[in-house]
Amino acid sequence: MAKKKVFQISNALTEGLEETVSAAHNYSGELRVEVLALRRVELDPENPRDLVLTFDDVIHGVDKADSQYVRKTDEKASLLTLAHSIKEQGIINPIVVYKHGDKYRLIAGERRTLASLLAGKTDIQAKILEGKPDELKISLLQWIENVERKDLSLWERLQNLEKMLEALAHSKSIRKQELTATDLGRLLGCSLPHAMNYMAVIQADAGFKDLIRQNKLKNLEKAALIINIKSDGIKQNAIDACLSGATLKKLKSISTQDKLPRTISAPSIPNARGRQATLVNLGSTKKLEVARLIIDSVLNHVKLGHLKQHFSDLNWNDYKSINHAFKQLLKTLEKIEA
Amino acid sequence: MTKVIVNATHKGGEGKTTNSIMLAEYTALIKGLKTLIIDMDPQANFSGRYIDMEYDPAYKGGKVPALHPDFEPNEDTNWDGRSSIANIFYGEEVVPYPTAIPNLDLLPAHSCKLQEAEAVTKNEVLEKVHLQLKRFLELPDVKSSYDVIIIDTPPSKGPLTIAAIKAASHIVIPAQMEQFSIEGIYGMLQLWKQESYYRTKDNPIELVGILPNQVRDIKLHKQFLQGLKLMKGVSDYVMPRVIKKRAIYTEILVEDANPKSIFELPAKNLARIEYEAACQYIMDKVFNHG
Repeated sequence: MAKKKVFQISNALTEGLEETVSAAHNYSGELRVEVLALRRVELDPENPRDLVLTFDDVIHGVDKADSQYVRKTDEKASLLTLAHSIKEQGIINPIVVYKHGDKYRLIAGERRTLASLLAGKTDIQAKILEGKPDELKISLLQWIENVERKDLSLWERLQNLEKMLEALAHSKSIRKQELTATDLGRLLGCSLPHAMNYMAVIQADAGFKDLIRQNKLKNLEKAALIINIKSDGIKQNAIDACLSGATLKKLKSISTQDKLPRTISAPSIPNARGRQATLVNLGSTKKLEVARLIIDSVLNHVKLGHLKQHFSDLNWNDYKSINHAFKQLLKTLEKIEA
Repeated sequence: MTKVIVNATHKGGEGKTTNSIMLAEYTALIKGLKTLIIDMDPQANFSGRYIDMEYDPAYKGGKVPALHPDFEPNEDTNWDGRSSIANIFYGEEVVPYPTAIPNLDLLPAHSCKLQEAEAVTKNEVLEKVHLQLKRFLELPDVKSSYDVIIIDTPPSKGPLTIAAIKAASHIVIPAQMEQFSIEGIYGMLQLWKQESYYRTKDNPIELVGILPNQVRDIKLHKQFLQGLKLMKGVSDYVMPRVIKKRAIYTEILVEDANPKSIFELPAKNLARIEYEAACQYIMDKVFNHG
């Protein structure tokens, strides 16, 4: 009989259609990018900021009588490169704002906004959100914005993360300590090992965190590696090595001392899957001496001494003859045990 | 508020123009709504149904609208007497043409000018083309003159289709239940998705749905339709009304057809019942969200 014809829309096309509709539902109105007049953009007074430089300082110049004159001038100078690139090419990522009265309040993009002012621009590209997002969303947006910045220190990133974890715990009505690396990984959309590194560093003791705050420890992987060392002595060695510029590889070799003496870990039992096993596979080896060790050990067994004579003329340098002998040995043993 | 309905899909031959015609005649003839139809397709078929189109001697195969009936050569010294929707891209005035159907006005296509606008690639100009139709339709004069605006688009995803989608409050995607057509639906859903990202809550773009068109009683059509209806999320956008393949839908388009509109056929005529149900469904969605 001829095969019955079935017409089906391909899986790929089906998936594409479903994903498109779902994306349209989930993100409608969320990616509106428009050009805003810079004078309508303002800082959110409820959000902590790390710059002290204000919009006025940029527009009118920093007042010499200002108690923070030096810091402000430094900040302004540090924005010059960005301002220069904005003058040449505009901003690459739009800033993120939400509407507040007739102004737009900044969620992310403080530096870009100040640098645009500095570059003499009058408007800026902005992603406009419908309303003020909740704490978790704000911190997440700021995180995403900041991840791309190279000049952000590990300490600043950790500060950011702590805020985010607090907001996350709050939204789940649990304590911050109950959050796991899996929660964090899911929130940031990063790999589990990366999230575990962050968690380890966040939970470090005050003394260690101080090193990060002072920017003496700058690398997340190194910091996490050191924190996970159990022995205090080795940990201190690792810290010292790190401060004097040891590579991650070097630190890893220091940390392995922590795990000595080495023991062979018991084989883990894999989850039962597939058919039930009814035979034991004895494996294989390329090393002739290993094969010899096994056969010799068996033959030296008190009960099996009488078998020795059958293997006396075995060529220990020939794979084939050892294979043959091993099979013989197994068969004989099966007979004896039966 | 004036509703702007766009019939779009970048695959040709799906029934965009036919569906624009049916919807326009339904709103004007049956519903008595003040209706403006806009032809964004350089092929100008939609325009040709309602007014005379002349062949543009300056451009091979191009069509231009005939002289406007209100044109007075002696008085209108600053006007050449022709008007098309393409004028909005050139900063020129636009004068809708009346049609033989009461309540129905037309802004016709101008092949050559629309093709020029479609061919724009320079970024600054492109942005202007994209937003120009939206700006035009938001003019108080336009909004106050019409209840509903129906736009026919070219079979492309180019600047003219994007302009129509940016101006739209509602999208209808007519599609045959065939391989290339379903792929075409995917492309249109992408445009809808992209545009919905940018819309605010008080100015959304609603997808009325996919209108299964030219459906025949064959396994392929039935199974593809069934397939669409089983897709998560997508199923909400497959219209419960289906247009079958019928000779009458193309016969009614010839120049000396009598009657000229599906909606002038007897009320019991199967084709009329079928298309009226589809139009009714679309209008319910557009005006009542239902």
